[in-house]
Amino acid sequence: MTDRDVNERLLRLHAALDGELDAMGSLEFEREMRDDPAIAAEYRRLAALRDAVRRHAPREAAPQALADRIAALTASPPAAPPSQAPASPSATVVPFRRRAWLDSRALAMAASLGVLGFAVGAGLTSLRTPSGSGDVAQHLVSDFARAEIAGQPFDVASSDRHTVKPWLANRTTVSGTIVDLAPRFPLVGGRVAVIDRIPTPTLVYRHNEHVVAVTELPVDAKLARGTGGIETIDGYHVARWSDANLAYVAVSDMDETALGEFVEAFRRGGGPATEPSRP
Amino acid sequence: MSSPIAEQRFREIVPPLLDDAYSLAKWLSQNPTDAEDIVQDAALRALQALSTVSVDRPKPWFLAIVRNAAMTFMARNRRKTVAYVGDMADLDTLDLPEGADAAPNPEQELIALEDGERLRRAIAGLPSPFLETLVMRDINGLSYREIAEATETPVGTVMSRLARARAMLAKTLRAEA
Repeated sequence: MTDRDVNERLLRLHAALDGELDAMGSLEFEREMRDDPAIAAEYRRLAALRDAVRRHAPREAAPQALADRIAALTASPPAAPPSQAPASPSATVVPFRRRAWLDSRALAMAASLGVLGFAVGAGLTSLRTPSGSGDVAQHLVSDFARAEIAGQPFDVASSDRHTVKPWLANRTTVSGTIVDLAPRFPLVGGRVAVIDRIPTPTLVYRHNEHVVAVTELPVDAKLARGTGGIETIDGYHVARWSDANLAYVAVSDMDETALGEFVEAFRRGGGPATEPSRP
Repeated sequence: MSSPIAEQRFREIVPPLLDDAYSLAKWLSQNPTDAEDIVQDAALRALQALSTVSVDRPKPWFLAIVRNAAMTFMARNRRKTVAYVGDMADLDTLDLPEGADAAPNPEQELIALEDGERLRRAIAGLPSPFLETLVMRDINGLSYREIAEATETPVGTVMSRLARARAMLAKTLRAEA
């Protein structure tokens, strides 16, 4: 192998890590990782490094004094106020600061992802600027695919929801529900997905050789628009629904029927009365 | 004096990017007070520019201004040089062996990653072109293309700088382990 090849492989490794590969590139990279344990190991090392950088060097909130000075740059009423000028600038500025504060708090929580998460290839994947429900689903699908590539779909491995729930509760701002769907869909663990800078809990269930990841999001008009149907994004099946408290996005490599059954079981809340358990 | 239109665009674009701008400026200047001055300067430049341009992608656009403001600030105040005048070609060759040599002790490396202070020191020690690329990618969350736009650098160069930045970080952490 020439230096050039080696070079390109390394660049592709980073591109995969940064979510910069297109579908075909990802496919090829996935195969390379399977065939060459050294590449898979290098990928995990880089992912651990990347996650550590995000954890220990998170984006910082700008000091309030700076934010005030920036706001003041445009705060003075225009000399000849045109009729269509926006209302008072404070109307836009004040809510923003509040949001920024919330975001930085969320980031700090994300940053507190501890010892468990860091060794994991797909640890904390930042999903950027999802502005609509489609984007969120798309990002969660990429997240799912990356976790699959890394061969480690969860940060906390446990089939016990009493282990998974507090782990997630300590790291996210969304207080989710964990449904016990064993034996059909045993819980295998959880991880944190960062959506729009808010760490959100993702539950990972298994079904035979397949995995389904359910991300729980705060109800938001944008996100909650679940159709109840199942869509296909990049070859993965995605189901979306919501209840009074949360919106849910399930991504899976199972077939549609199985995912439909999973969603139904999840929505019913599992439990012996609702899901006739099979011998 | 800025136009009402510019002011409105400014209010839409700049405040939501303030945390990103401040973080980038702080890493580039390695000083919180300087970072505030840099961001304020960048905001003024942005406000002026918005009288004449409309912006498609605010984030790389504004962070490019922050980066340039940081360079000006550092040059004027004779702090650590942000702009590289040296041999860039030399800097951008990718020394591959760095990435290829497997960590002698992966566990040691993982433990080193948990030492936040040391990791931050290692990041701060990166030469500027690598530092800005890493920060824009991993802290500001820009895509390769956006980094290329913000730093006026070809995408290929962004990619090799990022790979080298991470290799240098890993090497520093290993060396200290």
